Amino acid sequence: MKKNCLVFVLLLALASCESFLDLTPPDEVTDDQVLTSAEGLLSARIGMYNALQHDAYYGGFFPLMIDAYSDNGAAGGYDAPQLNQFNEKNLGADNIFIDNYWVAAYQVIYTANRILRSVDEIQDASLSDALRADVKGEALAIRALAHFDLLRTFGEHWDLQSAWGIPLMNEHDDPVQPKGRASVADCYNFILNDLQQARQLVSADDLAYGTGLKTAAYITPQAVAALLARVSLYQKDYPAAVAYATEVIQNSSYMLLDDPVLIYQQRLTPESIFELQFTAQDQSQYNNLTYVRDDALRVDVYFLANRLLNDFFQARPGDRRSQLVNFDPASNDGSIQPDGRTQKYRGEESRDNPAYVIRLAEMYLIRAEAAAMLGDLATCQNDLQTLAQKRGYTLPPVTANNFMDLVQDERRAELNFEGHRYLDLARIGKVAEVLGEHVLPVFPIPINQILASGGLIEQYPGY
Amino acid sequence: MNLLRLFALAGMLPVISYGQLTLTGSVRDQNGEPLLGATVRWKENPTVGTQTDEDGRFSLVVTAASGTLIFSYVGFEEKEVAFSEANTTFHITLSTEKELEEVIVIGYGVQRKSDVTGAIASLRARDIEGLPHANLGTSITGKASGLYIKTPSGTPGAGLLVSVRGSENPLYVVDGIPMLSESNSALATSYDTQGNITGNGQNISSIADINPDDIASIEILKDASSASIYGARAANGVVLITTRRGAAGKTQFHFNAYSGLQTAARIIPFLSSDAFVALVEDARAQDLKKYEENPDYFGPDFDPAVLTTPLPESWFTGVNTNWLDEVLQPAPIASVQLSASGGTERNRYYISNAYFDQQGIVINSYYRRFTSRLNFDQTASERVTFGENLSITYSRNRRSFNDDTYTGIITNALGCSPLMPPYDENGNYSDYTQYQAAWLSDNPILSANEIIAFSNSYRFLGSIYANYTFSPAWALRSSVAADFTYLTDDQFWSPLTADASALGGKAFNGSFKQLIWLNENTLTFSQAWNDAHHLNAVTGFTLQRNQQNRLGITGQGFPPGSNLQTVQSAALITSHDASASRWSLVSFLGRVQYDFRSRYLVSASMRADGSSRFGPDNRFGLFPAASVGWRLSDEPFFPKTNFLSDLKFRLSFGLTGDQEIGDFQYISFWTPVSYNGQAGLGPRNLADPRLRWQSNQKFNAGLDYEFFDGRINGSIEYFRETKYDLLSEDALPGTSGFSSITRNAGRIRNSGFEFQVEATPIQQAVTWQVGFNLSYLNNEVLDLTTDSLLLYAYNDLAPTHILAIGHPQGSFWGVRYLGVDPLTGDPIYDDLNGDGIIDDNDATIIGKALPDYFGGLHTSLRYRNWMLDIATSFNIGNQVYNLIRGEYLSLGYSPEGWDANNVLYMVYSNNSTEANDRWKQPGDQTDIPRASLINSHNYQNSTQNLEDASFWRFNDITLSYVFRQVAGLSRLRLYVQVQNAWVFTRYSGFDPEVSSTGGSDLNTTGVDYAAYPKARTFLFGVNASF
Repeated sequence: MKKNCLVFVLLLALASCESFLDLTPPDEVTDDQVLTSAEGLLSARIGMYNALQHDAYYGGFFPLMIDAYSDNGAAGGYDAPQLNQFNEKNLGADNIFIDNYWVAAYQVIYTANRILRSVDEIQDASLSDALRADVKGEALAIRALAHFDLLRTFGEHWDLQSAWGIPLMNEHDDPVQPKGRASVADCYNFILNDLQQARQLVSADDLAYGTGLKTAAYITPQAVAALLARVSLYQKDYPAAVAYATEVIQNSSYMLLDDPVLIYQQRLTPESIFELQFTAQDQSQYNNLTYVRDDALRVDVYFLANRLLNDFFQARPGDRRSQLVNFDPASNDGSIQPDGRTQKYRGEESRDNPAYVIRLAEMYLIRAEAAAMLGDLATCQNDLQTLAQKRGYTLPPVTANNFMDLVQDERRAELNFEGHRYLDLARIGKVAEVLGEHVLPVFPIPINQILASGGLIEQYPGY
Repeated sequence: MNLLRLFALAGMLPVISYGQLTLTGSVRDQNGEPLLGATVRWKENPTVGTQTDEDGRFSLVVTAASGTLIFSYVGFEEKEVAFSEANTTFHITLSTEKELEEVIVIGYGVQRKSDVTGAIASLRARDIEGLPHANLGTSITGKASGLYIKTPSGTPGAGLLVSVRGSENPLYVVDGIPMLSESNSALATSYDTQGNITGNGQNISSIADINPDDIASIEILKDASSASIYGARAANGVVLITTRRGAAGKTQFHFNAYSGLQTAARIIPFLSSDAFVALVEDARAQDLKKYEENPDYFGPDFDPAVLTTPLPESWFTGVNTNWLDEVLQPAPIASVQLSASGGTERNRYYISNAYFDQQGIVINSYYRRFTSRLNFDQTASERVTFGENLSITYSRNRRSFNDDTYTGIITNALGCSPLMPPYDENGNYSDYTQYQAAWLSDNPILSANEIIAFSNSYRFLGSIYANYTFSPAWALRSSVAADFTYLTDDQFWSPLTADASALGGKAFNGSFKQLIWLNENTLTFSQAWNDAHHLNAVTGFTLQRNQQNRLGITGQGFPPGSNLQTVQSAALITSHDASASRWSLVSFLGRVQYDFRSRYLVSASMRADGSSRFGPDNRFGLFPAASVGWRLSDEPFFPKTNFLSDLKFRLSFGLTGDQEIGDFQYISFWTPVSYNGQAGLGPRNLADPRLRWQSNQKFNAGLDYEFFDGRINGSIEYFRETKYDLLSEDALPGTSGFSSITRNAGRIRNSGFEFQVEATPIQQAVTWQVGFNLSYLNNEVLDLTTDSLLLYAYNDLAPTHILAIGHPQGSFWGVRYLGVDPLTGDPIYDDLNGDGIIDDNDATIIGKALPDYFGGLHTSLRYRNWMLDIATSFNIGNQVYNLIRGEYLSLGYSPEGWDANNVLYMVYSNNSTEANDRWKQPGDQTDIPRASLINSHNYQNSTQNLEDASFWRFNDITLSYVFRQVAGLSRLRLYVQVQNAWVFTRYSGFDPEVSSTGGSDLNTTGVDYAAYPKARTFLFGVNASF
């Protein structure tokens, strides 16, 4: 009898166990509930932009690392090996900043892929076809942006024959399974395919919140075109680069400002094509990493402006962009001198500096370079002149011999501390010449990534 | 169980009445000292009893003409004496219990120590009595084999790292309530220069809320057969803590108090201003010599003027600040406790109140704790007893900022320029940017005064229980327990601090609320046949749920001059957090113990646990265990000699489990995020739906021995534990978008030996006791999904550890330092890949954080009323990665601290006096390279900063004197004590037991980044009973 009683109690207990153990987190939503409705799709879209904001990516480290690993930047910080590697131009595969960037960029791709996998399947009458297409297009464009950033950091992006591309993740891949490098050509195809599709889908209107036209805070058709221009230039498809750049330049929404300083003091100026927004409650790392506070020491500042950038601007009388980098001994602690600090990311209180992902000036520079490569020096001269004039600098005449130097100098003056210099040097094959013989034009694959992929991803020779 | 038998017995036996007898007498111990509070019971009717008074005297009226009296006293052997009309006066001498006769607490029951078949270390109140420590863990350090207790930081109120046989974080069970030692504070004290949280820094332990004076016994369940009754959470061992309870008799008061002074136990000596300047001049002279030998030595563009331009006046101000003296202070410590216990046979109570106050040896830090306890037992009828345990704790902790990591008080004091005064001539804090050490991130005095951080904790721990005895054999027990914690964190950076100067002040206010409730129901059966067969069985069902909520707000911009410090006054809220989480656990348990004349012993147990942390298909885990024991010395053939008086073999095997991962890890979730002012959802994790319990397979073989009737006793154990299906943050290929996934991956084995001996070599007028234990531990990673992952103790330093198959957890990663070239004074590193460049590509496995051997040696000497106790503990074969030494032994290096005129105004840091042993001229044989301004001669992640951290520590030296019957007191004990009296070690930092990352992650443990130094404490104390 006692035994029976016991068994009964146990059975009763077991039955109630399951519900006792079925708990759900109060602050989160399960994966299968998100991408099932129009609202869920919009939430995931915000999640995708949020992923771009990661500290290691467009939240600060990615663009600043690219400049730090060039003649624009220097690293401060405590005597930390991970930062010294940037200073000594001696990156190692154990660099955690690079590892963090790798994962952050692929997290953007993962988020975009989750949207792409589900966007056509959502059964929700309130989801308009236009909105469905728009979000899909944005996801494709953002996936392309992240893949392209990875390609130009970790792959031989300048050589279409090269096998040293990057792992490409599409929406059908099992994310947990490791994937090896694709060839550079395959990478370009994949990226261009995404961008071409996005071009058909992305809307100029803010369909998500119905506030008229989308701002540069989101992916617009022009942002897609601008990305296509950039990718085409890297891919050396110059006619395409000219065409896409022209399309953006001719769009009336954009114009070069008279005072370049305003680009960085204001938000979403007509110079910005895609400008990732931050707020005081959702801060970026730019100010923290480049300025910190007025009397900061060298050890407090991770990414300094290299003294060579000072020399560069000294030789450019009248260039108003020199105001955007400060080498003045009066405003920099002695330990920072003779290096200086960029002024593009000021605002120590709110620290909401945006990421200037792609700007109108770059379109002029892309068209100038691509046109010159096609032999059209007049367009090159014209575009460089247009930009330089706005910036208060008088450009020397463009010739077949000097156009590349002029374009690259103009890029350096315009785009420093926005994540271009090292990639430009790699693109034009000048890393060794400018940065030193031992410096490789490609970042190392983080050692832990090689291990975690079971060796499927091969390290770039030389690391 | 004894109690149970007792009441069962009471219910069975008829009371026979013949008339009345008055029995009187006295009870004394072996030394003739009267025993106060000894229990005298009438065996035939145990509800009749009394207790002895101050003089050990008693008087008891029984309603029978003859019978038996039982004399008992905690820690003494029970004695039975017959009484009759002719024999009514008794002068009884009780002798101290033999080790093996003691009853110890096991999970869901008690057991005679002699019948134990598992591996259990047991500490009685007398082992820890009069050892006034802030935390119960420190008082048992070195006293039990296999138990390694480490205090990674000297912070007041700091958590302890307790590891049982190499597994960190055991389950604590306080009066039946299971809990983990967690740090529930959300207040980070470790930030990098970007203001990002880099780690938890100092850990506040939730176990610190238990007042050590209230503890009656501590049992450590080490093997599977003893621990697996706690199934799912016993993988890392179980520590059972039992608090004191009342006993029937006259009310007894105990007053315990001590007070003392703490000073830093070990100091890192730093160079004075003159020696510092001399070092810099030597660095320049050495570099100049190099330059003159080879003008290209420092590169083609090098301007040697920086080596010759005279140092500016700022180097010769005559200021000579000893920074450690500035931030350290002799700090008082005090504790006072008053308890009362007593009651009648029907209701018994223990009540206590205590206050503990510890000032930190780093200025502006302290820990204060108030605890109250009420334990109560009521015998309602012969069948029903019920009672409760209740403890309430309030603690207030002023936290030291950035203990253990960058930008902290100690961190900045190490290497701070001695030429910098704490305050300038106007009485303001000196501006650290104007002095010679680039290493500094703030004036340490300013950090200590202007960063104000408090954690307040309110803890309620209570349980009520009821026992129902059906029959002598059957009994049911049911209990409900609640563990409620409310913790608040308040942190404020004044606008004077480097961190908040651009923000106009910064504040964090947070709170944490946790309620754990637990219901346990057990049915026990206990029967003996013919005094030969003993069977004891227990089965039970338990339910537990944990609910927690966090709130946290960070704000900046405070009204100038207002001195307002909470986010209420902040101009801008920069972050906020309001989150909740919960988990629950359902368990069924059972155990059967059988013995034949205590000679052959068998035990089997099983627990089934279901946890909400795993998916519906993998929720339940089964954790069985079995053990056997054989008392060889009871065999007829065993020679009955006094020499080897007891010998027992034990074997056990079983499984325990682990669920210690975050909640809801088996499902992929999206978490709230925002962009451009819009709310949305972002993916939080990738989940493995197959996530299940981690298991720990444990094998134990033990031998208990006793020589000379217990004068020498102890045990030897061999253990081998394999943790498999390890719950780990397993590395994922980053192409997934995540760096890790929580899944079952990997296997780790801990195996080793333990040896323990307690001996009483002299037991006459002088009693001398000595105890020794030694544990050997071998930790090895057997299997991993990704082999040889590099791990980072700090994420902006080079990798410090590696997790690799075939090596122990906590293996250090770095470059091998080969010493100093006696001809040039340059450091030589092992260029493993032969590329001519020393960098992280030359790194290899260079050492390990875990010790090979650890243990303790303690002794006590007693002569009349005098007693001298010495407790020591030791570690052999572990290393510490002294990363902070890489910062303060910079040997004159300067990260370009000179201006355009080549005037040198700043080097990296001041140096410890180790720099005096540096290479100075050709032929010098030394480990310390030559000074250099241009080149850094200390490679932080190399064996240059890896040190042998073996040690032998004198934990306590106590001298006490006991008065009896003095000034109205039944007993008065006065003592003086030195805690952490001395450490024998070659380690150069503050303390060899450091772990700056908090250390609870075994994989990245053993790193020193300027942990809070440990104190040496001088105490005077009083224990009085009346």
